[in-house]
Amino acid sequence: MTASPALSLETIREELAAATSFATAAGLAVDAAGLSEDNLRFIVTFMNAGGDRFPAEFDCRDYPAYPPTIEFLDEAHSARGLRSLYPNVFHSTPCICARYNRKAYAERGGPHGDWRLVDWQLPTSNGVAIDSIAMMLSDLHGKIAASSGRLA
Amino acid sequence: MQHDTQDTHAQQEHGGAPPDHDGGNSHGSGGHGQPVVHIRVQTPRGLWSMTEPEIAPRRPEYAIGTQIAIVIEDARAVFKFVEQDSRYTLFVNGAQLAPDRTLVSYHIAEDTLLVLSVQGGNAGRR
Repeated sequence: MTASPALSLETIREELAAATSFATAAGLAVDAAGLSEDNLRFIVTFMNAGGDRFPAEFDCRDYPAYPPTIEFLDEAHSARGLRSLYPNVFHSTPCICARYNRKAYAERGGPHGDWRLVDWQLPTSNGVAIDSIAMMLSDLHGKIAASSGRLA
Repeated sequence: MQHDTQDTHAQQEHGGAPPDHDGGNSHGSGGHGQPVVHIRVQTPRGLWSMTEPEIAPRRPEYAIGTQIAIVIEDARAVFKFVEQDSRYTLFVNGAQLAPDRTLVSYHIAEDTLLVLSVQGGNAGRR
């Protein structure tokens, strides 16, 4: 473990405070009610162009040393990681294929063996660095809101 | 320049400079004599309004015939989103705005809140 739960919690709370303004304006529902040192998770619900809802869990253990693991859930938050739960703009693994998603790294079973977890905040090419929770929400909102349908 | 198509790993060449314009407030296409609206733009780096951030090179005051692309360009400038290989998209009430259309074509009224989504690349199909 590379970040203490206390540090992770403090960082998440600080970043969520800034991210909430963006989330509210974008119509994203943020549920961080259960956030604690023992539960470093929160859920953000995105919507696509067709009005389909996509709850996504951000598991922030070791944040900000490592990126969160982001996984789409069903509405009951009981099923996860199914292609049918993903907007159709993401990798068919299924996976949000981005440096800010721990699941995308090969060492975590993802498709990217060319990335290092410690470099997660680096920009790709000349793009904007997705280096905070607000930027993650922006990136995901932009992609999902412009999409329609599911991976399966 | 693409602002509004679906993303893939092979389509990361987005962003780019919107068309030239004359800068300043009430700018945009055909601004002379047109009604002006004052809008707000929420970005992941903060809100852009007539009062926020406290120091800003320009304010979101536009002739209603102003193109969406110009609003995007100005919001990027205020929050220093200088990267060209990113995609910048404006939304209002969940609907994506086409950069080549005008504010009035979307019935953007006084004090409307727009959302600037910034995509940094990578997320998408491989």
